[in-house]
Amino acid sequence: ALRGVLRGVRPPPAAQRRGLAKPAGPQSVRQLREADEAAPVFQYAGKAAKRKDRVFVWGFCYSGALGVPSFVRPDVGWKKPRRIQPTPYRLETEEKISSAACGYGFTLLSSRTTDITKVWGMGLNKDSQLGFQRSRRDRTKGYEYILEPSPIPLPLEKPQQTRVLQVSCGRAHSLVLTDSEGVFTMGNNSYGQCGRKVVEDETYSESHLIHQLKEFDSRVVQVVCGQDHSLFRTKKGGVYACGWGADGQTGLGHYNITSVPTKLRGDIAGVNIIQVSSYGDCCLAVSDEGDIFGWGNSEYLQLASVTETTQVNVPRHLPFKIGKIKEAACGGTGNVALTEEGNVFVWGYGILGKGPKLIETAVPEMIPPSLFGWSDFNPDVRVAHVRCGLSHFAALTNRGELFVWGKNLRGCLGTGRMEDQYFPWRVTVPGEVVDVACGVDHMVSMVKSF
Amino acid sequence: LNAAPVRAPRQHVRFLPAPAGADGKETGLVATMVPVLADHPLVRGPRFRRLKIGAGHRLDVKSSGVFVLGIGHGNKLLTDLYNCHLTKVYTVGGLFGKATDDFSDTGKLVEKTTFDHITREKLERILAVIQGTNHKALLMHSNIDMKTQEAYELAVKGLIRPMGKSPPIITAIRCLQFTLPEFQLEIHCLHETQQYLRKIVHEIGLELKSSAVCTQVRRIRDGVFTLDDALLRTQWDLQSIQNAIWNCQLKVKTELEKTL
Repeated sequence: ALRGVLRGVRPPPAAQRRGLAKPAGPQSVRQLREADEAAPVFQYAGKAAKRKDRVFVWGFCYSGALGVPSFVRPDVGWKKPRRIQPTPYRLETEEKISSAACGYGFTLLSSRTTDITKVWGMGLNKDSQLGFQRSRRDRTKGYEYILEPSPIPLPLEKPQQTRVLQVSCGRAHSLVLTDSEGVFTMGNNSYGQCGRKVVEDETYSESHLIHQLKEFDSRVVQVVCGQDHSLFRTKKGGVYACGWGADGQTGLGHYNITSVPTKLRGDIAGVNIIQVSSYGDCCLAVSDEGDIFGWGNSEYLQLASVTETTQVNVPRHLPFKIGKIKEAACGGTGNVALTEEGNVFVWGYGILGKGPKLIETAVPEMIPPSLFGWSDFNPDVRVAHVRCGLSHFAALTNRGELFVWGKNLRGCLGTGRMEDQYFPWRVTVPGEVVDVACGVDHMVSMVKSF
Repeated sequence: LNAAPVRAPRQHVRFLPAPAGADGKETGLVATMVPVLADHPLVRGPRFRRLKIGAGHRLDVKSSGVFVLGIGHGNKLLTDLYNCHLTKVYTVGGLFGKATDDFSDTGKLVEKTTFDHITREKLERILAVIQGTNHKALLMHSNIDMKTQEAYELAVKGLIRPMGKSPPIITAIRCLQFTLPEFQLEIHCLHETQQYLRKIVHEIGLELKSSAVCTQVRRIRDGVFTLDDALLRTQWDLQSIQNAIWNCQLKVKTELEKTL
């Protein structure tokens, strides 16, 4: 009986059929325009959108100097620890970092805030160069490797008013410059580089000692760490030094160690110095009139233009005829200088940036500006800052581009390749690079987003 | 073309019987120059029945500008010009505030955004970044060993360029006009397609935290051929084509000799 009912079923007549949707045909111009105007407008960034400040790190990861714990101890068991970070990697920081410095396997970041935490450190801490970092497992011991940016407690008298201006790192010691409370030093002091008396057989690891230096002729405006010595530049244009002096890098006229910061004389006496630089055992100073002075190690022809000896222990004027010098940077074996016109000059030994043929020179050679992006299309590109690592160089242009060249030790150049770079090469950073700090095998850059 | 004067018909020697003598029976042979029958225009027919025309770099339907063609033996020069890998210059016009599916203003609307936060300075910054990354790609795809001295010297002069197949590379880009919401860019590029340029406009919009569509793509220069050499639609006649070929011959020859 049921089968008979179903055989005669027909679709209901048109008047009773439900109004189902018809397929959309091609729309007329008016329908398209109306759909266009009716579409909602999204806003992603308003007129007052601010550019954010970011920190990018790259280079050798095992020492923890990059500040990303998952590179050394991965979160998941099957992942392997990353040995090298070949391209810039963003580091999350709580505050805007105004100054960074890379030492030999560790990094210091500082911010100009008035909060209690102003300086963060990561990397090697075997000589307490990052202060005492209390271990969470054992309250009496400290950490030897710090994998994450950890706050460094400074013994400030007015912690909520003093601001940290600059940090600097050497081989196993670090300096922190504040605006009203002088310079704080921590780390290895076996050569007096921390500015305090050398104590025999002192154990530097897990040490709570942070020394404060205040006795200078005027306020200290720049601190620079060489490998085992420290340089201080004061507002009046004087330079003080302490630390190891076997190569004459303290510039005090002798080859002994100095444990108290002493003012330099020689060709610098009476000259207003506006910038000091050092990273290895050679030091350079630039005066306000554009003259350059050097002292220290000269085994790699860094100071060969004035003297044949391999160690210079008194600052000597370097008579280069390259124009008024604005900024200079010292590396392990090579030096670089930037003139007022924006030209970059290199001299010394190593991969200097003019192709594989130029290995050493005592007289500065200019790197052609076309390698830094200058061309007929962009005639106003010029180099704004130069920085030096132990065997590589970095240059920042006024457009915010970063160029690196030199020995690519454990991926420190950040180009993504493992080969040495014989001429300036752009590093792709998603933002405008404001400042960069070079270390032995890693680099840190402060970047403003677009 | 077929109406142009043809070369004279060839002549050859034929031994023809001499005109009849007095009694009409002497048949000596006399050598005379007589036109070859095969060269007669009615036998031979029109000189050109088909023309081989080849095109240089492709141009989209939605774009305009210089389009290089080669006729007959010129097709062989086309491959040589392609192997020179010279840059092409485009003027690209864009519009902020819209995003469509095919990146041009005639496509289906995907999204509308605000654009009043965009300034010329921000646009120039993005363009500088694009130039920087493309300059890096230029050096990397040129297949030169970076460690040699000659690579350094070529890089100083700016002569490194890929001499083989490579993804699209922009050698130079700059902003010609900027009036919100419209803007115009001049792009020098290699191995690109017009759709790639429209995609670049869309990506510039995304980088500036807004959206952009491409309204106009116009090729101004293709290697050695500029807008001045190009023939307009009204000028497509034999005389101007012949003049244009004559003017460009020297330029093409010097360029080919310089590169190859």
